[in-house]
Amino acid sequence: MESNNNLPDKNGFFGEYGGKFVPETLMYALDELENTYNKLKDSNEFKKQFYKDLSEFVGRPSPLYFAERLTKHYGTGSIWLKREDLNHTGAHKINNTIGQILLAKYMGKKRIIAETGAGQHGVATATVAARLGLECHIYMGAEDVQRQSLNVYRIKLLGAKVHSVDSGSATLKDALNEALRDWVTNVDDTYYIIGSVTGPHPYPMIVRDFNSVVGEELIDQSKELFNTMPDAIVACVGGGSNAMGAFYPFININQTRLIGVEAAGNGLQTGEHAAPLNDGSPGVLHGALSYLMQDEAGQVKATKSVSAGLDYPGVGPEHSWLKDSGRAEYVAVDDDEALEAFHQVSELEGIIPALETAHAFAYLETLMKEFDDKSNIIVNVSGRGDKDINTVAEIDGIKI
Amino acid sequence: MNRLTRKLSEIKSNNKKALVGYLVAGDPDIETTVELMKLFSSSGVDIIEIGVPFTDPIAEGPIIQKAHDRALKKDTSLISIFEMIEKYREFDDETPLVLMGYLNTFIYHKKLIENNENNAVDSILVVDIPGELNLGDYGVKSNNINTISLISPTTKKDRVKLIAENSTGFVYYVTLRGVTGSSNLNIDEIKKNIKEIKRHASVPTLAGFGIKSIEDAKLLADCSDGVIIGSSLVQMIEQGSEKKEFDRIGKYISEIKKAIS
Ligand SMILES: Cc1ncc(COP(=O)(O)O)c(C=O)c1O
Repeated sequence: MESNNNLPDKNGFFGEYGGKFVPETLMYALDELENTYNKLKDSNEFKKQFYKDLSEFVGRPSPLYFAERLTKHYGTGSIWLKREDLNHTGAHKINNTIGQILLAKYMGKKRIIAETGAGQHGVATATVAARLGLECHIYMGAEDVQRQSLNVYRIKLLGAKVHSVDSGSATLKDALNEALRDWVTNVDDTYYIIGSVTGPHPYPMIVRDFNSVVGEELIDQSKELFNTMPDAIVACVGGGSNAMGAFYPFININQTRLIGVEAAGNGLQTGEHAAPLNDGSPGVLHGALSYLMQDEAGQVKATKSVSAGLDYPGVGPEHSWLKDSGRAEYVAVDDDEALEAFHQVSELEGIIPALETAHAFAYLETLMKEFDDKSNIIVNVSGRGDKDINTVAEIDGIKI
Repeated sequence: MNRLTRKLSEIKSNNKKALVGYLVAGDPDIETTVELMKLFSSSGVDIIEIGVPFTDPIAEGPIIQKAHDRALKKDTSLISIFEMIEKYREFDDETPLVLMGYLNTFIYHKKLIENNENNAVDSILVVDIPGELNLGDYGVKSNNINTISLISPTTKKDRVKLIAENSTGFVYYVTLRGVTGSSNLNIDEIKKNIKEIKRHASVPTLAGFGIKSIEDAKLLADCSDGVIIGSSLVQMIEQGSEKKEFDRIGKYISEIKKAIS
């Protein structure tokens, strides 16, 4: 949990982005959380517990693995995979929940709530709540309950209750609305574990810091495996937590390009996508000012992506800042390209990636042309694809 | 003087309590909203609060969320709302009108608010900004539009003072931890908190969010300067809108008015 820049500022802003745009009822809860976090984050005891849990319960560090056949396929540079898919519960999401549950415990909260899109954050939250014996409620859009049914059942097995959300577009955004409403109502005894670097301050900072273990490991592993810093790190961006965790420790390492890949859904030009950094404008949603997909009346637009975890109209405010400052680049790949990469990586590497992660892989098609043989490119494999088998089989016309 | 300020001081000098009625603009459609506003004011509503529909109204319970959805399906925007208000003002230039909504739609229509043609709108309540801030802090300079800020049961004492001083219309005390239309009023806590607010506020303190019945309204009016009725009216609008039968609403409003007078 090193700090590489001094952002956010004391009001929670990364440049002009971020902030705390919430109903008054939540202001005290956010202050309480911020004070607790600031007090704990540098304490040795807290850090010791956090890293112990990451090591013994999650199985960190996750390997940095040379993707030999994928590298051969593109014919230039070396492609390395950061294996967050090997974490307990199968995605990077657990890094954050391990940290936040420690905060919840310290604050004496009895009840845990979370939103989830792909279900990975729901599983990761239910997991840490089960470990501490805390009551846990997961909000999930009705459409996502359908397409991520495997994770719904995992969450239930872990003893948490899944609330299917029908309002609005019945996806991640609406699950977040409902989680916020729960929090407003039960604010005294409830801890809200937000699942990405989104939401009001201090969440974008906290979720980034807990996920930064990924980037910290990458610095050491890069030195060890190829003796220099990588030329690029590629990660998919939904809310942006796996990307932010990988990028953050590299912000001051200028030789490393930071590339975030958004979901272009049916294609950027169709307007039916989930790529606010590529085709949105600054606006306020879920407590923060950031790039947002919105119409000319300031209403939030419906999103489209084959990947539930990327199907969100907003993005973490620090990404908006990284985009405007030019430190990171943001591109988008569509559903078809992501599905192709899903199959490609499964067959070439023996790794079935999450559909979210498949977006990062798909961009290699464009990116690898820009590099020579000596380059080292890291793909953050944010999660494994078991949860997506039904979705992909259906698209391929196969009944399981 | 701003209509809201004038109305509130008139109510105060008559030793009465203010009745604020909430509806969502464009629910069931914008023409009917004008009719409902007339019904509100003729039945005893002192101040009309007009909900500006938003796709993601995080502070609203299911009843008002659905009203926002209905209004959005009819393409209601702040542009059509300002037009509607202009029409309404031809009939009624007295009743204070308050817009209640979410920051994103207000920032998007900055120009409309800054123009505020003929000062038709008297006040704006932005649900999703901290109580010590107002639209001016987000670059929207509003002419003769005053600020209504929310204070909730969880607001810390040092913030109560800041927020009370920031409110130029009235202080809106959120009577419960929850979304609009919930029910778990704790009258003792409410009394205590409103008393604390009144120590700092130079404007009246009104109570709202969980008022579901005439009895609730009476209890809360006793310890505040007035009450805001939202979900129960919106529910009646939903039930009556098929046949546009809104008589029950007028009756309900006048009963509340009587109960709190
Ligand atoms: C495997 C995986 N990758 C990526 C994401 C997207 O989230 P973020 O952008 O916060 O990393 C999700 C979200 O559910 C996920 O499950």
